[in-house]
Amino acid sequence: MTLQPANTGELQTIAHDARARSTPLRLVSRGTWPAGVTGGVVASTSLDLSLFTGIVEYVPGDLTLTAGSATTISEIDAATAAHNQWCPLLPWGDDGGSLGATFATATTGPCARSLGTPRDVAIGVQFVDGTGALARGGGRVVKNVAGFDLTRLMVGSWGTLGAITEISIRLRARPVVDESWTLYFTPGDIAAQSRLAALRRGPLAPLASEILTTAHAAALGFPRASALIRLGGNTAFVAAARAAMREIGRTEPCDTTVWSRYRALDPHPRAVTANAFADPLSRRIKMLFDPAHVWNRFECGTGAEGKS
Amino acid sequence: MTRTAADLLPLRGAELCVHCGFCLQACPTYLALDDENDSPRGRIVLMKALAEGAIASNDPDARRHLDRCLGCRGCETACPSGVPYGQLLEQTRERLTTGRPLPLVARTILFVFARPRLLGMVMFGARMFRATGMPALLARVPGRLGFAMAMLASTARPQRAYPAADPDGGRGTVAILDGCVMEGLFTSINRATEHVLDVNGYLRVAAHGQRCCGALHAHAGDAALARALARANIAAFEKSGAQFVCTNSAGCGAAMKEYSQLLRDDPEWHNRAAAFGARVRDVSELLAVAGPRTAGSLPGAPTVTYDAPCHLQHGQHVTIPPLTVLAAMSQLTLIPLTDSDQCCGSAGIYNLIEPELSDQVLAPKLAHIAASGAAIVATGNPGCLMQIGAGLARSGSPATARHPVELLAEAYRKS
Amino acid sequence: MPELATTLSHIVGTRYCLTRATELLAYATDALPGNRRRPRLAVMPGTRDETVAVVRALYAAGMPFVPRGAGTGLSGGALADNVVLLGLQRLRQIITIDPESRTATVEPGVVNAALSKAALPFGLHYAPDPSSQTACTIGGNLAENAGGPHCLKYGVTLNHVLAATVVLPNGEIVSLTAPSEETPAYDLLGAFVGSEGCFGVAIDITVRLTPNPEHVHTMLADFSSIDDAARATSAIIAAGILPAALELMDAATIQAVESSIYAAGYPIDAAAVLLVEVDGAADGLDDDVEAVVRICRACGARMVRSASDAIERGRLWQGRKKAFGAMGRLAPHLAVQDAVVPRSQLAPILARMAEIGTRHNVRICNVFHAGDGNLHPNIPYDAGNADESARVHAAMSEIMELCISVGGTITGEHGVGSDKLAYMERMFPGDSLDAMCRLRDAFDPERRANPGKVVPSHRCKEWHAAPGAHT
Repeated sequence: MTLQPANTGELQTIAHDARARSTPLRLVSRGTWPAGVTGGVVASTSLDLSLFTGIVEYVPGDLTLTAGSATTISEIDAATAAHNQWCPLLPWGDDGGSLGATFATATTGPCARSLGTPRDVAIGVQFVDGTGALARGGGRVVKNVAGFDLTRLMVGSWGTLGAITEISIRLRARPVVDESWTLYFTPGDIAAQSRLAALRRGPLAPLASEILTTAHAAALGFPRASALIRLGGNTAFVAAARAAMREIGRTEPCDTTVWSRYRALDPHPRAVTANAFADPLSRRIKMLFDPAHVWNRFECGTGAEGKS
Repeated sequence: MTRTAADLLPLRGAELCVHCGFCLQACPTYLALDDENDSPRGRIVLMKALAEGAIASNDPDARRHLDRCLGCRGCETACPSGVPYGQLLEQTRERLTTGRPLPLVARTILFVFARPRLLGMVMFGARMFRATGMPALLARVPGRLGFAMAMLASTARPQRAYPAADPDGGRGTVAILDGCVMEGLFTSINRATEHVLDVNGYLRVAAHGQRCCGALHAHAGDAALARALARANIAAFEKSGAQFVCTNSAGCGAAMKEYSQLLRDDPEWHNRAAAFGARVRDVSELLAVAGPRTAGSLPGAPTVTYDAPCHLQHGQHVTIPPLTVLAAMSQLTLIPLTDSDQCCGSAGIYNLIEPELSDQVLAPKLAHIAASGAAIVATGNPGCLMQIGAGLARSGSPATARHPVELLAEAYRKS
Repeated sequence: MPELATTLSHIVGTRYCLTRATELLAYATDALPGNRRRPRLAVMPGTRDETVAVVRALYAAGMPFVPRGAGTGLSGGALADNVVLLGLQRLRQIITIDPESRTATVEPGVVNAALSKAALPFGLHYAPDPSSQTACTIGGNLAENAGGPHCLKYGVTLNHVLAATVVLPNGEIVSLTAPSEETPAYDLLGAFVGSEGCFGVAIDITVRLTPNPEHVHTMLADFSSIDDAARATSAIIAAGILPAALELMDAATIQAVESSIYAAGYPIDAAAVLLVEVDGAADGLDDDVEAVVRICRACGARMVRSASDAIERGRLWQGRKKAFGAMGRLAPHLAVQDAVVPRSQLAPILARMAEIGTRHNVRICNVFHAGDGNLHPNIPYDAGNADESARVHAAMSEIMELCISVGGTITGEHGVGSDKLAYMERMFPGDSLDAMCRLRDAFDPERRANPGKVVPSHRCKEWHAAPGAHT
């Protein structure tokens, strides 16, 4: 069975009912993610959040954006590109995936090291928890310490505490120059690897730098490439970074769309494991936000099972 | 509780404090004791409460924490809001001494310093005792006695004769404050001061009738005696006709520059005090203005580090001139001293009244000096010279504490 | 009570367990002027073990407590109203600095600037730099999720804390770490950061250290109207430039700073100045500098000058960082606010704030993190003057109302504490405050730590929401 609330009121009703009847719910947003990532939830009822979609507020001058949780990564990318901005997450997975799933699973991407992870990017969140409460943490401004941090609580909670309905994020300006390269060096070339590591640690750090497996390199059409590099910044900065990169090994330019293809390969799988959310403090949080233990009950257990 | 006139005086300047806490890390006693009652912000709270009558003037806790203040005024340099902490402290100590006698040691010292003839006798006795070599022998004895002996021993200097300079007086006339401890125990530094002033074109004139500057009395809360001494000095130096009043003691300089504060309620003397204060200069200031004339190198071209006396740095905001004086000597390697802006724990007679805490404050200073590797610590205040000198001797350090001016005079003599 | 004092004295030594009224006065305030609450006693452990023992003793005695670092907070968060004040200032050991992983582990009482000083030999620093950094502690920074001028580019405390060992109010010890992507977990560390001492006491904290930038360029732009300065700020942000810091000071603030010991050479006839710093790799920095200068000029800057050396740069920053304290010379008390508004609307909001100030006949001094839209409208006043106090209060309420109505927040970095408690319901209508109470209940079900702060207690629906809440 699938329930598809159209607004937060309906979602709250569903939450109340599920709690009262102890009906486990599987949260689904765009449904694009591999089962390996979101699978493992034990529930015969799906809660489809796809109607919580669309950009609610986007003020380019503030570099902030608020959107429904089912808004896709590609929608946000298109809207922000018009103002030469972007959502800095660029997460692993399909661009048809949702913002909500990205934050609920705290999924990063190749640019996380330079541009931040979901916990750095989220500035506010609205959600309905397992008691049926509609709550909001944070807000729509880039700096905010009012109240206890429900935003950080929801990011990475894998839908086990409630359903995210709306998220506010900080954006970044797109770099003036944004270029991508394949980098070639002999596997096992320690010197080249340490030069790459130094580049990543140094002041000319690339936006992204990914060591490719043989399979991934082949899938992208660069069979012998060792790494994928993305340089971003103003002209002078990128010129200097490019020179530093060329010290590492042979390089070839490639189209920036390579990153979408690479992310779609989902090269860094993640999944809820047996001991996730199992420590005493996490169990207490679960009990307080989902006392009936109905939200995203994972097969492998999420700690709170057997309690209460 | 009975209120005296002193109790009812408002605490002028306390209202400037907005409790930001920026002073905490600038306070040596807070760093040593970790209790906010021993910090400037905490003490201002206590001072306000005393002034408002919220706590009694004989409250032992308030007294203990206020007594422990070194009066280094490092907090003033850290304070964005300009709280005149030193003045608050003096006002409060005055308030407190109204109802309570000072400790016997303090009373004895203050009594002696206010009486020139008696002071002369005591200092003479001290010099004689120093000459026996006993203080140097006893310097390593643990406890307060040993420390006092080490302090006395640290004042020993060979007497130098300086070649007569031919002062053209082109830089103006100067009357020197002899200073109780400087003339009594650091006699050679006073002679060195005269010499470097001569060399740098100042014409010295005498100021007869000068007395102790009164700084110790004011800090300890004996404001009445401090004012009497201040009036005597103002009169004496006015009579001398000198353009500048020079001192080689940072503590005396700070006190004299602020006579107008001490005498703020005295309509007859307030303006005279302000005019007098405007003429007071640390010897390093006079030398820096003069250039000063360059000198050759000190024997052995020793490495030197500089420790800023609190009453020069925080009390008078004189920071560069002593370095200028040191830079006049060729081949002098000046090594920066970590936390040179922190108090050494001398603070007038504090090291005799609060020996334990004084030691605690001194310890990091000695460690930083040792780490610098310098052979000489230059500092321009008698209390600091004795405190650091004694600390170095007791810790077995080969380094010595010297006044910048005695180094310069020595360098002039050799070149 | 005497038994508790005896127990605590046994743990920390009598010198560090203060019970007499006189000695508690100094601990009755933090840096929020004009607010005073007398703690029942103050206890200051000297080691991490002592801290744990103290928290356990307090739990056994059923006694609530308020953790306190250096007491430099501006929201009254460290005020202890007849409960125990737990001073952590003695825990100031830097446990490790690891230049290779660029991390440091410190005790909570380590002073912010002391950590950067210790990291300097390795070419590193601790990036969050609250204006009180010469006095405030890392533990306090963690509790408040402290910001600072350079957080515009580098992020706030949350973005720099990697782990903490925490004593929960019931004496349990938990290790909180930033979750990694591979092993899903609740972001307990993220929840703890900024919990204002209500979730427990951090006894060690691991933070990220940041490499000192290759190059730093500090500019001072001088405007003849605050509106122009605000528009320049919005334009710089909208242009996609990410300065390391972007600070605005108005005429009243400039004059207070320039008459203080920290006089920085700001033009005293300016209506506002922007302090803009860009940093990073040498390559490309000039382009950012030129863009900033161009935008400031286009928005009407009379002059944009660059700090010529590190000393001038230091002076420009000292003036900014000591501005709050410097306002002490304007009046005995200071109302301090910390609202954040959308950065695109700075100019109209500042104009409306000025109007509010005029209408209530109070003097607003603005000094703030313009790049973040984090306003600090400060009003110097005399708390002894009832009429003036009432006008200040009314003006501040209107300013807060204004900031909330434009989609802003009531606090960007100072915390809610006790000072902003009254605005929380306006800020978070509905069930949000109750959800916050529940988050707190996971850490402190009996609400022993910093009671009565952050969330008005009547907004917590149930004291013990779930039967399993405190296991």
